[in-house]
Amino acid sequence: MGVVLTVVVLNQLQMPEYNPERTYLDMEEAILEAFILAKDSATIQLPEGHYLFSQELSISGKKHLTIKGMGMDKTVLSFKGQTKGAQGIIISNSQNITLADMTIEDAAGDNLKITECDTVLIRNIRSAWTGKASTANGAYGIYPVLSNNLIIENCEAIGASDAGIYVGQSDQVIIRNNKAFYNVAGIESENSTRVEIYNNEVFENTSGLLIFNLPKLTRYGHTVKAYNNTIYNNNTKNFGVKGSIVSAVPKGTGVVIMATQNVSFFENTVKNHKTSNLSIVSYEIFATDGDSQSNNLANEARAQGIRAVESDFREDNSYNPYPGNIQISSNLFENSYRFPTLTNEYGILMLLKNKAVIPDIVYDGILPAGATLQDDQHKICLQENGKVNFVYMDAAHDFEDFSNDLTPFNCKFP
Amino acid sequence: MVIVTLLMSCADRVSKKPPKALKVEAQDLLSETNIQEKKWLSDYSFFTLPLAKLEPQEQVYAYDLNNALFSDYAHKKRFIYLPKDTKMKYTEEGVFDFEVGTILIKNFYYPKDFNKPDEDIRIVETRLLIHEPQGWKPLNYIWTADQKDAQLNYVGGEQMVSWTDEKQQVKTIQYGIPNLNECKNCHNKDNKITPIGPTAAQLNKKYSAINSLQNQLETFQSLGLLELPNAHPQLPKLPVWNNPQTGGLEERAKAYLYANCAHCHRVDGSAKNSGLYLTYQEMDQRKRGIFKPPVAAGKGSGDFEYDIMPGYPEESILIYRMKNNDPAIRMPEIGRVSAHIEGVALLEEYIKSLATN
Repeated sequence: MGVVLTVVVLNQLQMPEYNPERTYLDMEEAILEAFILAKDSATIQLPEGHYLFSQELSISGKKHLTIKGMGMDKTVLSFKGQTKGAQGIIISNSQNITLADMTIEDAAGDNLKITECDTVLIRNIRSAWTGKASTANGAYGIYPVLSNNLIIENCEAIGASDAGIYVGQSDQVIIRNNKAFYNVAGIESENSTRVEIYNNEVFENTSGLLIFNLPKLTRYGHTVKAYNNTIYNNNTKNFGVKGSIVSAVPKGTGVVIMATQNVSFFENTVKNHKTSNLSIVSYEIFATDGDSQSNNLANEARAQGIRAVESDFREDNSYNPYPGNIQISSNLFENSYRFPTLTNEYGILMLLKNKAVIPDIVYDGILPAGATLQDDQHKICLQENGKVNFVYMDAAHDFEDFSNDLTPFNCKFP
Repeated sequence: MVIVTLLMSCADRVSKKPPKALKVEAQDLLSETNIQEKKWLSDYSFFTLPLAKLEPQEQVYAYDLNNALFSDYAHKKRFIYLPKDTKMKYTEEGVFDFEVGTILIKNFYYPKDFNKPDEDIRIVETRLLIHEPQGWKPLNYIWTADQKDAQLNYVGGEQMVSWTDEKQQVKTIQYGIPNLNECKNCHNKDNKITPIGPTAAQLNKKYSAINSLQNQLETFQSLGLLELPNAHPQLPKLPVWNNPQTGGLEERAKAYLYANCAHCHRVDGSAKNSGLYLTYQEMDQRKRGIFKPPVAAGKGSGDFEYDIMPGYPEESILIYRMKNNDPAIRMPEIGRVSAHIEGVALLEEYIKSLATN
């Protein structure tokens, strides 16, 4: 009992924390009124100070609106203990919006949600949950979804129990010069197209950068470029809510590319991860990865559920669950860790099959029936990444052809 | 020492109380404002005086729906103002078409004793949807303590309300009045503000406030306010969620989800990114939540794997969120601070019944 207790406490102590000093002011009604009465082309200028809100601030159906603070360290909007609405700021159904120069903190759900908008600039915004990184923190930090033409730059994202900076079901997105730390996922691009992610610093999350494509959504992702990013030390214990997709991502994964096509990952530095620096996987590895510790349901119902989810993505003709057309080139991979974590099955697999070496690049090797790696749409090219430990898992065949041979992946896209 | 640390970290997580904040004045937050709306509800002349009796003037007609949105047990009286010589235009599916100038009027009130619903009433707010040439516009009026009139309000607020329910239990809640942007959140279809309630299937019922003998739709027709389609023996009709004589368990559960969730959870609603669609017509079981994993529910997933786990309401995200009052978890996200016990019971029974199928 004593041992168990100590372990629990140690786990708690290991969680990173962020504790800024705050002296709260209340200007809620006036600021709320400004958000509601703002006409097209207006500017809402928020003064310096730490402002506390009991409810979310929203903008809906506006054009050419600017919302500005006096700087990330000067204007703080805190939603600690809010009783109405789940978000901090939510902007929906609007065009040509600029949001800049403030911190948004401690919302019950997401700090900044942008939905169904076109042309949005998010600049110099800090999203944070204060205190220890915890499952009780809100889900997404900076969260544009179902939107087009977005720039997220010079932002910071801290402590999200899902993704710090997330873009989902969106087109034409630039994510640059940001810092993301102490989140479950640092930066995540999900079901989005034409995304560029560069010059970001991503560290001490559970997983650094996720490029995901999930089935059964309004649109599917492809065409993502990530370059000049520094991604390191993403080994924080997963504190995501069970049931969320990121809660299934093992800690110590630098970059995960899942079920996405046409991804170019180059000139990045990825280092010091306990599970793998970069992995390329299919959706199958997630879909069939039953959560062993979850509930005590009748097994038959569980099995039925897994079958249902599987048949869903297989029957969906517009969804491609296999990564392909992936180029990983000219990156620097390093690892100061010498032994894989044994907290997840990938680490154990590396212990058993990979001489206990943590791989720099892992590919699950799962392909649709009849397909081969030489097919144009399934090609994976790994080039000029220096001396790397590469693992081809052959996960579809019980790791039968598990291999470290890079030769079949020595190719280049035009 | 170890134990103390553990206790402290637990206490830290349980504490949900907001911190203290010093009230300060604001100046010049907004580059310009320009307000033209009527300041008082009485300015519209919808009702004869005293206003709180809600006796409609000419061109204002009472109506009711088969299934209402749950709003913390508030009672509702609905009216429609139709400009002179205009009619509602019948549509088989979706809300009727209304001429510019039409105003939908919804009054939220609490009788002191729910067993005497017409006595000792306190009206909290009156929400309007005004059909202007450029589209529908929501406005909200909050009633004064003396119940003489209601004043225009943009920012919403909270009011303590209490009542004695049908089982003689005294209930008290901190009722939330929405701000104007929250109105737009639900009244959003394909990024346009629209009414939600007045569809043929919802209006297809008798309502004593307008005519206790005849169906509402026929009454509207006989008043010259609506033309029903010729040669249409069976007008669409939703079952009533809490009346088993109007439909089977599944139909009533679907009707409840339609009225309480589908304004956002539909392919052209605010929650379309979730992929959970709950219109009455939706036939795809997965889109209806059965064995559907959550997409971006955050804490809302509550450690469960599917929106609906057939046979196991206690393992279904849908029930978890309907029961919960935490703003990051509860569904609907806005418009309630307490759970709808009877509605939850219906959905639990429905999810249990799915096991045998």
